[in-house]
Amino acid sequence: MAVAIAVKARYLARLRELAGVETEVMHVSIGSTLGDLYDAARLRHSALPERGSVRGAINLEFEDWEARVSDGDEVAFIPPVSGGLR
Amino acid sequence: MRYDVTTDPIDPRELEAIVSHPGAGAICTFSGIVRDNSRGQSVTHLDYEAYAEMAVPQMKKIGQEIKDRWPEARVAMAHRTGHLEIGEVSVVVSVSCPHRAEAFEACRWGIDRLKDSVPIWKKEHAADGTFWIEGSEAKPAR
Repeated sequence: MAVAIAVKARYLARLRELAGVETEVMHVSIGSTLGDLYDAARLRHSALPERGSVRGAINLEFEDWEARVSDGDEVAFIPPVSGGLR
Repeated sequence: MRYDVTTDPIDPRELEAIVSHPGAGAICTFSGIVRDNSRGQSVTHLDYEAYAEMAVPQMKKIGQEIKDRWPEARVAMAHRTGHLEIGEVSVVVSVSCPHRAEAFEACRWGIDRLKDSVPIWKKEHAADGTFWIEGSEAKPAR
């Protein structure tokens, strides 16, 4: 395996309940994307849903699944927000 | 300016006072209130949860969007988290402008964008169980 980087993953709201953990440190290879990280999270926590409507954020900003993560980043997996009927 | 996420009760009048100034001829305030029913079921109470470190910057970003579109607008937003009873105020967006047309439009922009992009979730405690509300979907909580 290539040299690994450490990223702090945070699961919000229903995703936290499904993962059974609020935050955890994940080690992934250099060049990994947000999507790679979520795929790795789903291998660890099988109850997590497919990407579908989940959004990812890096260091408090929404990002595409193709965005690369760096050592020390805080990544968050975010279910659809409350929304509600207009 | 005020953009915050708080466990304390929110008074819409306090946000109006923040945006009020002598050149503002119109203040439009949206208050979201905890409703006693949802999906045809009675609701007993709600729990709101926020990713606060991200929610507040997102709210500021929406405030900036409003200022880009309506340069004379002043904006304040607050969202409650934690346990809320029926009838309590969950969210307030208050916007002042010189005239009412832009005050209505800017306020609506603010609450619609907040509901789309600010990471805050509602857990609904209803007669048929406890649900996370995700957009238009209700998903059973664990």
